[in-house]
Amino acid sequence: MPDALYLSTAIGLPYLGALVTALLPANARRLESWLAGAVALLTLTMVWLCYYPTIAEGGVVRAEIAWVPQLGLNLVLRLDGLASVFAVMVAGIGLLVVLYARYYMSSDDPIPRFFAFLLAFMGSMMGLVLSGNLIQLVFFWELTSLFSFLLIGYWQHSAQARDGARMALTVTASGGLALLAGVLLLGHIVGSYDLDRVLASGDVIRAHPLYLPALVLVLLGALTKSAQFPFHFWLPHAMAAPTPVSAYLHSATLVKAGIFLMARLWPVMAGTDAWFWILGSAGMITLLLGAYVAIFQHDMKGLLAYSTISHLGLITVLLSLNSPLAMVAAIFHTMNHATFKASLFMAAGIIDHETGTRDIRRLSGLNATMPFTARLAMVAAAAMAGVPLLNGFISKEMFITETLSASTAPTLLHSLLPLGAALASIFAVAYSLRFIHGAFFGPTTGDMPHTPHEPPQWMRLPVEVLVFGCMVVGILPAATIGPFLDVAVRSVLGEATPYYSLAVWHGFNLPLVMSLIALAGGALLYRLLQRHLNAGIDGTPLLRRLDGRRLFDRVMVFLSWRFARTLERLLGTSRLQTQLRLMVCVTILAAVLALAPHDFGLGVLQLSPADPVIGLVWLAGSLCALAAAYQAKYHRLAALVLLGGAGLAVCITFVWFSAPDLAVTQLLVEVVTTVLLLLGLRWMPKRLELAGSGRLLSRLRRYRDFAIALGAGLGLTAISYATMTRVSPEGISRFFLERAYTEGGGTNVVNVILVDFRGFDTFGEITVLCIVALTVFALLRRFRPAPESIGVPDQQQGDVRNWMMVPAVTMKLLFPLIGVVAVYLLLRGHDLPGGGFAGGLMLAIAILLQYMAGGTRWVEDHLRVHPLRWMSAGLLLAGGTGLAAMAFGQPFLTSYFAYADLGWLGKLPVASALIFDIGVFALVFGATVLMLIAIAHQSVRSQRAAPTPPPAPQEER
Amino acid sequence: MNHLAELPAPVALLASALVLAGAFLSLAGSFGLLRLRTFYDRLHAPTIATSMGISCVLLASMVVFTALQSRLVIHEVLVGALVVLTTPVTLMLVARTALHRDRLENNPGVPRAAAPDETAEHPEAARPEGPPA
Repeated sequence: MPDALYLSTAIGLPYLGALVTALLPANARRLESWLAGAVALLTLTMVWLCYYPTIAEGGVVRAEIAWVPQLGLNLVLRLDGLASVFAVMVAGIGLLVVLYARYYMSSDDPIPRFFAFLLAFMGSMMGLVLSGNLIQLVFFWELTSLFSFLLIGYWQHSAQARDGARMALTVTASGGLALLAGVLLLGHIVGSYDLDRVLASGDVIRAHPLYLPALVLVLLGALTKSAQFPFHFWLPHAMAAPTPVSAYLHSATLVKAGIFLMARLWPVMAGTDAWFWILGSAGMITLLLGAYVAIFQHDMKGLLAYSTISHLGLITVLLSLNSPLAMVAAIFHTMNHATFKASLFMAAGIIDHETGTRDIRRLSGLNATMPFTARLAMVAAAAMAGVPLLNGFISKEMFITETLSASTAPTLLHSLLPLGAALASIFAVAYSLRFIHGAFFGPTTGDMPHTPHEPPQWMRLPVEVLVFGCMVVGILPAATIGPFLDVAVRSVLGEATPYYSLAVWHGFNLPLVMSLIALAGGALLYRLLQRHLNAGIDGTPLLRRLDGRRLFDRVMVFLSWRFARTLERLLGTSRLQTQLRLMVCVTILAAVLALAPHDFGLGVLQLSPADPVIGLVWLAGSLCALAAAYQAKYHRLAALVLLGGAGLAVCITFVWFSAPDLAVTQLLVEVVTTVLLLLGLRWMPKRLELAGSGRLLSRLRRYRDFAIALGAGLGLTAISYATMTRVSPEGISRFFLERAYTEGGGTNVVNVILVDFRGFDTFGEITVLCIVALTVFALLRRFRPAPESIGVPDQQQGDVRNWMMVPAVTMKLLFPLIGVVAVYLLLRGHDLPGGGFAGGLMLAIAILLQYMAGGTRWVEDHLRVHPLRWMSAGLLLAGGTGLAAMAFGQPFLTSYFAYADLGWLGKLPVASALIFDIGVFALVFGATVLMLIAIAHQSVRSQRAAPTPPPAPQEER
Repeated sequence: MNHLAELPAPVALLASALVLAGAFLSLAGSFGLLRLRTFYDRLHAPTIATSMGISCVLLASMVVFTALQSRLVIHEVLVGALVVLTTPVTLMLVARTALHRDRLENNPGVPRAAAPDETAEHPEAARPEGPPA
């Protein structure tokens, strides 16, 4: 299906081009511009190929690529008349801009980046106009915001560019978020995000109670993008971009995206009073304000920026009028504006390029020094002013006609429309005159940095093409632009397409009179303002206080600084106790909420008779735990020793109930954690029981903590009890028991589950372990002890060194033995208690003992453990085993086992799970040793104390 | 009860006697820990449990499993060796620590360091490389 191919190429090609361009060397200017130009041309061709057979007949080209069909999310590409007009503008003006930029950009600028961004932006724009799905449209919408941000901030070294880019991104992307919300509402109303279905359900949408919120949100997106009042302020600041970018973004693409969206949704959302009032007032204010401010700009690009704002306001007003004829005028003016504004921006860029300044006050007499460019710019500016026989005149006349016919409606805004239109036209003539007169006339001796001269012929070509377009359309509208406009209008209005005539001469009527008055009035206004303008005063009279930028900055400072800080102060904490307390409380709450809807009660299973032996063990364990909690505040060492006692009780319990795997693991974990905690304790500041410790408030706090702890502990007990006093439902245990040997090749079911049946879980767990170890390492790398714990502790003073002699010899001698046991545990794990986890911990303990025996320096002189290598090797091995299974066409982590023939040693059962287990082994070993080393190194490096924390509010003890 | 029932009577008697002896010795050790007065005296008591007591229990285990499996089972020797190797070392460390503490606190009745070395005057120079704990 060629259409689908053309459409996806039209979107994909610019992105591909961007990628390739970004990879090209910085000095390949010619190659890059050729590539970018070719991409733009091909994109244009693609659109054309689609256009010609189908769209011209009034059809719609549609291509669908399934993505998540269940959610109604498909990549839908849809090209109709309206989209094709915008697509042609995007690709066509893109082509001209590339050609122009080839000569405009200085050789010092990083060219690959420029073209890469430009092409990526073009791709996003194409995606936006060709979207057949609303969500997809929003996605591309945000992409255009993003790439315009990158383009506007292209000259990163300039603060102005950075600020302008950030402002543009903030405003347009926030608008995009509003649009997303609006689109979600629309999707909810219609029941589908598909554009065809949305366009077919206009009545449903307008009648729905959620219509107004959806409308406001969608328009918020459109108005921010199209720089409508009160969001217009970002556009002038975006002029810090290179001129080709301005010419592209502010004539045909970025700001027109908002217009495109309004036109797109016009059939389904327009036609209501809300639509008129929102768009009409915003558009009218923008139209007048933009035109008025434009007169007083001294920067050529600034003048063009405000005139762009004003013209966008004009289009918005046209769209707001809810009349099909106004719709025709809106689309027509969008096309016209794109041509003359792009050429004007390019002309301003040429002037900037050749004279070194864009300040109208400094420019003068360019008509003599660069006559060709001057003529082109004059024609384009005349089109902007609405001079007859140019395209701007026709669409502006249509605009005036529409305002006149709308003014018959009874409301105030309606009746003010013609007046506003006339006033704006007068302003437009004035600023166009300013543009022409200020720059091109007057004495040839302006104080310009360079002596002006004509640009290279190819740089002028894009301007010539566009100006030629202005003139042709202006003189022969029906023969040139007519068919395209017709297709675009029909795709929006369908059956309701009104009769309209595209002609220069409609007879001597009121609109023509108003146009002529505007021309004369504008010239008069410019004459009157001459003195004020020549004085070179910055700022706009009457509107000096209206500074959108300052307001924006204030809002940003409030949001990102004051508000955020306040919020953080009110809701955040850096105290570990508070965090822990919150975590436990939330856990309790979650458990309660999860259990509350169900009937929670203790089970009815017959309890087995009490066994005095294990009872005694438990008694000892519980006493240890209680005592540990009691001692934890002031005697950490004692608490730690007692915790070890509790852990041993748990270990004995596992042995008692025939869970050797658990017992082994518990024992090893107990050893490792106790030693690591002991090592860490050395760096904790001592906590002394002071006179104030027993005050009522801190006592109350302790009681509260005690209550929380009691709640958590008792809750867990209750849950365990309730679970254990019930008959467990027929679960998967039997399955595991039956299949462990036949399918996993091991008789140790626990291990088979870990490395085979639930291998993926284990894989995830060891990954987490890896992350934890790295986090501990990272935290301890920048660790600063409290000032009082920096010195050598009492325990290490005196004749300490000699004491370790005998233990050290023993520990060193035991090292190989422990290593062997570790490997033994690993290898037998598949059939007998043990496994990679236990083995890894065991080996880590061996290393731990060496650090204790010889000290950090001695160990590292004799034996370098590279924990990071162990960890990465382990993770790769475990992952690689899983991938190897995929190489054999099995699912990830499928294990395989066979009997290896070792000759006279006999046969050894080997499962691929063993390799996985070796990975676990290596990772556990590496992670544990990494933490150990991170703590151990604290004692060999020179310590600097942490700065004394500021006196905290008396919350914590 | 279970497969222990298959044990021949003389073996069973021997094993029981050994286990009981081990249990008694361990009890005696614990009792001693309770009764003895000073910390240094107390250090001696648990050694009975870990040397004699454990030896008896390990012997019993060897006897039982040798009889049950009809072959010589002496894995327990390894256990014994490790316990014998590690217990004194641990107790030595504990005793040294206590001694150190007493000397630091100038408690009476504690012998002075054997060789009053010069490092005592310059504690900074004696910074050990050993583990901080």
